[in-house]
Amino acid sequence: MTKKRKRQGDFQKTKLKVGLKKPKADNATDVNFRSKTIHLPEQLKHGDSGPTTHRHLNIKDLLSQLHHFNSNVKQGALVGLRELLSANPTLVEQHASAVLSEVAALFTDKEGSVRAAAVRLLRFIAQCIPAERVAPFFPLLSAHLTCAMTHISEAIQEDALRVLDVLLEHYPGLLSQRHTVLLANFLELISQRRKAGTGLDKSGKGGYALTISTNRSVTAQQWRLTVLVRLGNFLQAVVEERPLEEGVTSRIGLGMWAGEKGSVTPVDVSWEDHVFGKGKIQVFENSGAIPTPRSTYRLRPDSKPGAGMDKELCSAETVQGFAGTLVPLLLEIWVEAAGGQRVQTDSGHLLSAESMALMFQILTILQLLRRLTPQRDQQDILDVWFRNSYLTDFKQHFMKNFPYGLLEVARFKKKADGKRSRQQVAGETVAGANVEPLAVNVTLCQVMVTLSLRGQDHVAAEDADWLGPIRVFIRETLSNGGKLSSKHLAALLEVVWRMIVTQRSRVVTDDLLQAVYVQYQQRNLGVSVRTLLLRFFSQLYIQEHQNHPHIARSKILACWLASLPVQLVLLGSRNPQLSAQLLDTVQPAAARGNKDLLQSLQKNACSLYDPQEGCVVVLPVESQKRLVQILHFLPAFPAELLACLSQVCNTGRVSASLATTLIRTIHLRSPLSGWSSSSQDVPVKDVDYLSFFFTTLTGFSSEMLQALQDTDEDGLLPSSTLSPLSVFTTTLEQFLHHWDVVEVVCHCLDTLGSRAQCFDVIQNAIIKNLCGLVVVPDCVCAAILRCVPRLLDVNFLPSDTLLHFLSDCCLSMLNLLLQLEQSARKRDAVWEACFAALSTVPRLLRLVLQSFRVCDLCEEELPVLAQILSLLLQHTQLRNHMMANASLLQHIIQDLTHFYGGETREQWLTDLLYCYSVTISSQRANMAMRDIY
Amino acid sequence: MSAPAEIVLSADSAGQLFNCAVFDPHSGAEFLSYRGGNTSSRSLTVLNGEYILGAQLCKNFINVWEIQRKDQLQQKIVCPGIVTCLCASPNGLYVLAGIAEAIYLWEVSTGYLLAILSRHYQDLSCIRFTDDSSHFVSGGKDNLALIWNLSSVVQLDSSRTPEPRHILSRHSLPITDIHCGLMGPQARVATASLDQTVKVWEISSGEMLLSVLFDVGIMSVTFDPCEYFLFCGGSDGNIFQVSLCSTSLSRDKTFQSDSDGNQVFKGHGNLVTCLSVSMDGTLLLSGSNDETVRMWDIQSKQCIWSINHKGPVTNAAIIPAPANMFLSDSRPAIPLPRFSRHLNPSEQGDSTGTGGMCLRLGANTQEPEGTYLEKADELYSLMCAVTDKSVFGDGENTKVRVSELEEEVRTLKKINKDLYEFSTQLLTKPN
Repeated sequence: MTKKRKRQGDFQKTKLKVGLKKPKADNATDVNFRSKTIHLPEQLKHGDSGPTTHRHLNIKDLLSQLHHFNSNVKQGALVGLRELLSANPTLVEQHASAVLSEVAALFTDKEGSVRAAAVRLLRFIAQCIPAERVAPFFPLLSAHLTCAMTHISEAIQEDALRVLDVLLEHYPGLLSQRHTVLLANFLELISQRRKAGTGLDKSGKGGYALTISTNRSVTAQQWRLTVLVRLGNFLQAVVEERPLEEGVTSRIGLGMWAGEKGSVTPVDVSWEDHVFGKGKIQVFENSGAIPTPRSTYRLRPDSKPGAGMDKELCSAETVQGFAGTLVPLLLEIWVEAAGGQRVQTDSGHLLSAESMALMFQILTILQLLRRLTPQRDQQDILDVWFRNSYLTDFKQHFMKNFPYGLLEVARFKKKADGKRSRQQVAGETVAGANVEPLAVNVTLCQVMVTLSLRGQDHVAAEDADWLGPIRVFIRETLSNGGKLSSKHLAALLEVVWRMIVTQRSRVVTDDLLQAVYVQYQQRNLGVSVRTLLLRFFSQLYIQEHQNHPHIARSKILACWLASLPVQLVLLGSRNPQLSAQLLDTVQPAAARGNKDLLQSLQKNACSLYDPQEGCVVVLPVESQKRLVQILHFLPAFPAELLACLSQVCNTGRVSASLATTLIRTIHLRSPLSGWSSSSQDVPVKDVDYLSFFFTTLTGFSSEMLQALQDTDEDGLLPSSTLSPLSVFTTTLEQFLHHWDVVEVVCHCLDTLGSRAQCFDVIQNAIIKNLCGLVVVPDCVCAAILRCVPRLLDVNFLPSDTLLHFLSDCCLSMLNLLLQLEQSARKRDAVWEACFAALSTVPRLLRLVLQSFRVCDLCEEELPVLAQILSLLLQHTQLRNHMMANASLLQHIIQDLTHFYGGETREQWLTDLLYCYSVTISSQRANMAMRDIY
Repeated sequence: MSAPAEIVLSADSAGQLFNCAVFDPHSGAEFLSYRGGNTSSRSLTVLNGEYILGAQLCKNFINVWEIQRKDQLQQKIVCPGIVTCLCASPNGLYVLAGIAEAIYLWEVSTGYLLAILSRHYQDLSCIRFTDDSSHFVSGGKDNLALIWNLSSVVQLDSSRTPEPRHILSRHSLPITDIHCGLMGPQARVATASLDQTVKVWEISSGEMLLSVLFDVGIMSVTFDPCEYFLFCGGSDGNIFQVSLCSTSLSRDKTFQSDSDGNQVFKGHGNLVTCLSVSMDGTLLLSGSNDETVRMWDIQSKQCIWSINHKGPVTNAAIIPAPANMFLSDSRPAIPLPRFSRHLNPSEQGDSTGTGGMCLRLGANTQEPEGTYLEKADELYSLMCAVTDKSVFGDGENTKVRVSELEEEVRTLKKINKDLYEFSTQLLTKPN
């Protein structure tokens, strides 16, 4: 019964009755507890509106606060935004459009502090966002900027320039696309449009007049300076952002004069890359018999329709239009800057620092205006226009007190103190405040020199009055011994270049080049300055040489060229870059057969190609190659030079391939090679040629060999009956290097005209120089063994002395071969040489076999002999030769078994007898076969 | 025996057997030989299919043979200096010679010396014309190769010195050989140099297209007519075949022999001085300083035949057979005038009293004809016009036109009918 009860209890059904309370389920939650606080550790921290500042404001709050009427709130919001964005850089990306548009709106805020904060925020944002992401918002930004620049309130105008600074710093490319609007704004900032009625005063001055306002915090001059500095920067940006086209001299510094002729840098076009790209592709026409001017076809037009630009600022007309208004203004400013001073001091050429800066900016802007046109022909048009319209003005104003100097120091300091206080008021506006007088003068020269026209003789006389002082100034600056910075020097050299090319007079050229040369000859010049001067001369020589005879005849240039090899020698390994640059000039000059250079090269050849410390061994590989190539143009190769070169080939400090090139060059220059047909001059005499090749073949000079005879180094293998010569083992590296060299030497000797004579010469040389030696390096042995069979003529019988020497070499090498285990390459090389000699040279094998006198051998040498014999027997090609000497061979083997007194048969003897029997039997079989047929 | 389409012309510097000789490209059999003197390298040329010109080695004159009279020199042209290279234009109007560092240009019809171009700094080594004679390329021992436009050289007034169209200055050692491809001014040029490179250039832009580096200096270079392969003769006697079809984009490459096209022909023992490919691109001719001329089958890289000469081979080329060569009774169409040695043609003309006339090209031919781009534009606009008409000249225009035509047909039918009736009346009218 209990069982049944229990089972029923499991599924007991509770009865529900009306009126009774429902009993609670077992799993019901008891909610009758209380806690004091609720902890939600990780949820809903800042609501759903993202990160906030320390004042708990999120980005939406901040943006909305920017519209607040109270300026303090606005400023606070800007500060907050900056804090928020710098803490969370991802927000910048997400809210770029909102933030930028709101901030831009505040450029024209009434309150100065708000504007300052806005600029700071803009500077921060600009650092975070790259130019291509800002591009879509840039029309808005620039619209606000324009608005601020043309604002009626002057304080806002001043701050607008600061905005411009930020944008120029970070987005020069984008800004330079808006030049039409901005350039007009610049004009408005310092001037006002003349009213139509008041145009009666000096109507040539253009439609604008300078404004002078008294209620600014700075003087009118300072204000103009700040504006002009910005204008200069802006134009610089426009010039730099323009894609460079050929032949344009728009880069500052080294490339300034380099691009006179210009070369096209072709691109490999993959059209996919150019679908959205802005790059232009120049398309060449293949134009039949008649050359067409260069095609102007472009892949896509420059100006995008969305940019709102009607004209690009690259044609001469547009630049002229702008310059026509700007230049009169600049001249007025110049007059004021210069004239204001004259009231205080008598000497007009001394200027205060402030006017100096102002003048510098004016000149910089003039210079940039010319560079605005990218195409060369347009630039020329512009030059002519400038000359026609402004030459008299420029002459009158600029050249009157040239060259300018700085006012005395004491006065300057006093003024500077006063200015500093004002500067603090004006902020850091006067960026170019301290300008050296040299910079002003140099820029002035640059501007003026562009006005001198190229290749027109009748104007030369007119220009003499103002080019004269410039020339004097340049000459004095360059030759007074002072050190110039590379920037000033580059500008000066550009002026010199232009004057040389335009003036076409030998006197002027020599005068100016002399000054540059004085500068060049100074000691302790910085590397950049030295490079600059070097480039100047080399470009002058290489590019302008052909077109301008007055340059080609210049003595200074010739003198400079002649000094190059000496400089190379002096420079040694100290500055490889500079040496490479020197070689860049030396090589073309040598190729053009410049007499001065070649003479000097010839004189210094022995030191250049010295095997110990000459340039050819100490410089890097690329320069070594050039030096070897220059060798081709040397007018003569005296014996000493060839001795040096032979050692250069063999010392291993130039690579084997370069040594190969060197040897081939000398081979080609010799009349023996039969390449150069001109018979009048003989650069390499036949005697010298052959001795060079023999020395290179041996790889050791006679002195070195002589010295080897007396040494007792550990590399020496002692001579014995089996190795009649004492072998000096060279290092593997040296051996292989020499092996490569020998290959080329053999090939060159091989191609000489008469083989018999050539072999006779080599044979005599070997007999005279090598035969008496006791100690011989292994590479020499290998070289001889390799060379003789290759040069051997069938009709020519080698002399006995040579054959005996060869057999000695051969034996020693075979002996060495058995001791070489470490290097397979060396073994192969040695064996190849021995094999070639034994199989090709007649009677050599017999001589070798004859020299095996078994009776003289000691016990330990018997196995070595056996090994050599079996080595020779194993080789099938040699087998026939061996069989020709069968009786001799049999004799040796009999002696060998006889003299070997050991009881047990050693392995080597077994091997030898086996090889011998195989050889004999195969020979017999051959004979038998022959008998059968 | 029918005359062959192509012949091999070769010369050596010894000149014992002959100055130059003509061989059959397939068998190597000798057809003809021209005697007298010997010829310096790269200076044997056929003028207009009627004369053979060859500069005498180390002497300052040019030997001239009429092509059918092999035994006798026609004349000797005396030059101001030793001629190092010589080339006649394919149209037979001009002869160029490199004498020391200057290029001399003669007009064949008058014999006037038209220009002396001295833009090279050292001796010239090679001159080549493009196949349409519009440009020529000169290479010298000063590492430079210059591309000249012939018309700009010829037509310039004396006040301006002629300028080369392009200066190719990337070689670092003397240039040894030049080869111009086909296609006139759109051709590609290959230059070989001792600096162990061969560079391929474009005439139209003067840009370098390819530079191949070898491990020996290169003495000769040629293309096959399709420009599939570049053949380069090395100074060690090997001939390297470089495939130009490879897809790699780099402009500089180093030669390595492999299975796909880059291969080596081995056989010569000394400098390979001349190379030439037959018109069908199957045969390669090579001449070497080892005194042999070899003919190779390009496909299998085997030597087909070789001819021993008595001295280093200076010239060897496969050329189309001139028509007059095998007709011994033919005469040249124009007698060769005396070539003048001085630049001023008027004085020369007065003294010899030839009464020659100077012709200037007519104004219409001097006008630059439309460039290819302009032509393309024109063509495009024309095509557009056609499509514009068919697309936009829709329904109404055609309807009007159709109705006009129907109208016309009707009138014609009416006239025809009238005519018929009139004539029937006339015929059937009882007399």
